[in-house]
Amino acid sequence: MLRLDGLTLHYGQFRALDRVSLHAGPGELVVMLGANGAGKSSLFLAISGLRKLSAGSIRFNEREVARDKPSDIVASGIVHCPEGRKLFPGMSVAKNLMLGAYVHRRDRRGSDALIDRVFGLFPMLHDKRNDPAGSLSGGQQQMVAIGRALMGRPQVLLLDEPSLGLAPLVVRQVLAAIKAINAEGTTVLLAEQNAYAALQIADRAYVIESGRIVMEGDRQTLLNDESIRRAYIGA
Amino acid sequence: MVMFFQQILNGLTLGSVYSLVALGLTLIYGILHIPNFSHGALYMVGAYFAYFFAGSLGVPYWGAMAGAAVVVALLAVASERLVFRPLRGAPVLHDMIAAIGLLLFLEAVVQAIWGADFHRLQSPHTQIVHLFGLVAPAQRLLIVAAAFALMLGLHLFLQRTVMGSTIIAMAQDREGAALVGIDASRVSMVTFAISGALAAVAAVLFAPISLVYPAMGDLVILKAFVIIILGGMGSLPGAILGGMVIGFAESFGAFYISTNYKDIIAFALFVLIMSVRPSGLFPGGVR
Repeated sequence: MLRLDGLTLHYGQFRALDRVSLHAGPGELVVMLGANGAGKSSLFLAISGLRKLSAGSIRFNEREVARDKPSDIVASGIVHCPEGRKLFPGMSVAKNLMLGAYVHRRDRRGSDALIDRVFGLFPMLHDKRNDPAGSLSGGQQQMVAIGRALMGRPQVLLLDEPSLGLAPLVVRQVLAAIKAINAEGTTVLLAEQNAYAALQIADRAYVIESGRIVMEGDRQTLLNDESIRRAYIGA
Repeated sequence: MVMFFQQILNGLTLGSVYSLVALGLTLIYGILHIPNFSHGALYMVGAYFAYFFAGSLGVPYWGAMAGAAVVVALLAVASERLVFRPLRGAPVLHDMIAAIGLLLFLEAVVQAIWGADFHRLQSPHTQIVHLFGLVAPAQRLLIVAAAFALMLGLHLFLQRTVMGSTIIAMAQDREGAALVGIDASRVSMVTFAISGALAAVAAVLFAPISLVYPAMGDLVILKAFVIIILGGMGSLPGAILGGMVIGFAESFGAFYISTNYKDIIAFALFVLIMSVRPSGLFPGGVR
């Protein structure tokens, strides 16, 4: 469904991504493990068209999208929920969500139905729908960010560090919601430092270090791998 | 007492014109972080096009205003495409130099076409309105009414329409806006067009009670910068309130102190307010 081949990205002289190749099939939940600065966010920004690639190809549904505009990529069904959430802090929760459906603005009815499903997934957002997004707690803002991404009707959802800075209980809620979204058929690419929790819900995972994929495998393989346990799980 | 109310009307008139100019300036600053000095030239070009449409082609005043708004909106969009877009990612200083260059360029072009003389734009509304014992030139009342109608329209556009939301979204989080599929270049173009049209309308409203000449935008743009710094860079209510503060300060200062000091008052007030509230009256950007 989504297949990256030889993705290379430079910031000036610095090579942030080095020939990254990976794939995600329909309905899969694929986790990207890696430390801060390993290249996870750069990878997602490159897929979304917000960073210019030096080389490589991104094929989505058998179509090359690597040179497309960010708005076309969203419209084609790859939606990115970024690290740091990037909400519109002064706008209400409801307006943030509706702007998530910007590329589907001609189908207002579909978006109205979808916003009810987002409220079903995160009932607390319904209570806070008229509050400015910036006034919410970190966990609630993360839910707005995921909800906003869902409003873009993703076939592939890129989630960048959704658990960053959240309390453990909230992390579990967020991951449960991600699992639920995935169970409804959305392909999920999830970047996480919180390796143990992320691997619990993953089908497969890649490990990225200094812009390179250094390991890949299914959940059990990675959970049992000694070097992964040492580096990312701490047990 | 009558003179006092007279000054209020004058302050409202000046404040309305300043607010319209400042709104365009603060919109562009809030969304693109460009200190657009050429905005003053767009104001001036707006007055000249209305003068041309009304004087040479015989178009009625309001038609000339609409024509000038369209021409200046297009000119503003062209300046975004040709000057500011290629500078995206460059230091802000480059934007500023380019904007000042554009200001000088447009002034020189206008001077080459229409000369350096002063012109007068005639308005059909020359009657004097008597209201509650006050005397008010109709044009001044029109300026205030038109300006408030435009501000309300802008507010409704930004808050109620999808395109308006994209402008605010981009001001609040540029990357977030790109990630929901908002096309940054389209938003930039719309913002420049709105800002240019506002400047042109402000100039055409004000021209019948002032004069049309190539440097007419210079002092206005300086004051508009004072206003948006006063109001908080990127803040729309700040631009309106700041415009009113400067307008009132000028009209009252001119009357109670001296007309000679009219222009100094705005800048003196600026220094004073900045020393008390360095982040402006309404910090916090576009809402």
